[in-house]
Amino acid sequence: MNTALAQAAVPTARAIRWTPAVCLAGVLVAATVLARSAGGPADVVLAIAAAGLAATVVSGLHDPAAAMLSAVPVSVMQRRVLRLALLGLPATAVWFLLDSLTAAQVSGPGPLLALTACGVAVALWAPPRRAVVMGASTPVALFALHQFLPSGTVSDVVGWWLTEPWWVLAAATLLCVAGRRR
Amino acid sequence: MSMTTVRPATAASAPATVTRALVVIEARRMLGNPVPWACLALTIWAMWTVTPEPGEWPGASYEGIIPAVAPFLFGISVAASLPFHRARHDVAPAAPVSEARRTLARLLAALPFVVVALAYAVLVAWRERDLGGLWIGMEPGRTTEALHTTAELAQLVALALVAVALGAALGRRMSRLVALVPALFVLWFVVSVYWLFGQAALTPYSMIQVQPLNITVGPSSADPLSFPSDWLLVGNPHTSEGWQRQWVSEALAWWHDVWLLGVAALLLGVAWPRSGRRALLTVGTVLAVAGLVGQHVVIP
Repeated sequence: MNTALAQAAVPTARAIRWTPAVCLAGVLVAATVLARSAGGPADVVLAIAAAGLAATVVSGLHDPAAAMLSAVPVSVMQRRVLRLALLGLPATAVWFLLDSLTAAQVSGPGPLLALTACGVAVALWAPPRRAVVMGASTPVALFALHQFLPSGTVSDVVGWWLTEPWWVLAAATLLCVAGRRR
Repeated sequence: MSMTTVRPATAASAPATVTRALVVIEARRMLGNPVPWACLALTIWAMWTVTPEPGEWPGASYEGIIPAVAPFLFGISVAASLPFHRARHDVAPAAPVSEARRTLARLLAALPFVVVALAYAVLVAWRERDLGGLWIGMEPGRTTEALHTTAELAQLVALALVAVALGAALGRRMSRLVALVPALFVLWFVVSVYWLFGQAALTPYSMIQVQPLNITVGPSSADPLSFPSDWLLVGNPHTSEGWQRQWVSEALAWWHDVWLLGVAALLLGVAWPRSGRRALLTVGTVLAVAGLVGQHVVIP
């Protein structure tokens, strides 16, 4: 099984559209460099980066050949994990690059991983027709709600991905494990 | 036996009728999308919560109003991108209507969002007057009755045009619909971090331009009363670079609107079919360059 997965890595990597992700990473690096030169608080830039990178990783779950590949002896969840790993590793590297460029209070990959896990959980449990779009929109929605909701209990809960990322990651991972056969 | 005769459509009216029908269909689809309306609600909420508060950074409330439009721009781009992405399907080239006409219909169908942006700009103007004005500067150069100029409010409408054009360009050129969400999110929310483009050299290239610009006019030891009385000032403890003038310019905002129109035309050129693309790119380049030069000339 693992051999089949390893053999699938290169064709899967070729099937992923890397150009949008690379352009997005370029925009984020440019924004972080600007924030560094302006000397302003870069927390919001890093939060945008976390949501944008998480949405990119989750959008990588979209597999146009999913129906054709359903017959191969590799489960859907394994193929998803392969896609997440292929996109998640470069995304984490970009995150660490951005983090090193700023002196922001938000530090570490917790928010990125928490938002990614939330997006994957939604993609697993959402109706199949729009699952990946809804999953990729989840980090964006969480960021926007946290930014614009008035401070209070609801805003605090929505902002847990930023303040308590590891707990959110654990909860979302449990949801992903529960939905692994979906 | 009776016979009903139908007057044949004239050659001139048929294309217009087809275009109108396409506009109605596309507009119904776009306006039925909940994303821009949810984003508009967020935008109005964010704008409404901006109020002048004692102890704020001089000009914080004035600066906070305009970037609140970012979620709505994101929503417009998402809604506009969907029909343009649909045009990538191979069924479309076989349609009995030219691609240019279908593109035109989609763009016209997105215009209601620009009208909504205009209404939002009017709402902003009303809200500022309802608050009695916003605060800029600190004593002795301070006002509590600052209102955004017409040119700054017109920026919101120009930005809506850019949002439509950006959605059209990315929707037409990106192969995966799902990749549009992170791309549009990052583009619109990064440009909403206005202080990234706060330096005078970068301001002309910003998308969401936020005034006032802070221009250093003297050291901390300078007597602020020696500056012209109509200057809005900020100094210690808010700055570490001496006295700065908080400069608001309607001329700068108008030239920035020209730059935005140029960017919109360039993006439309990316979305437009081959015939007519060159004209859009030419117009866009001329407007963008004129807008940039104008802004550089105006900034002291």
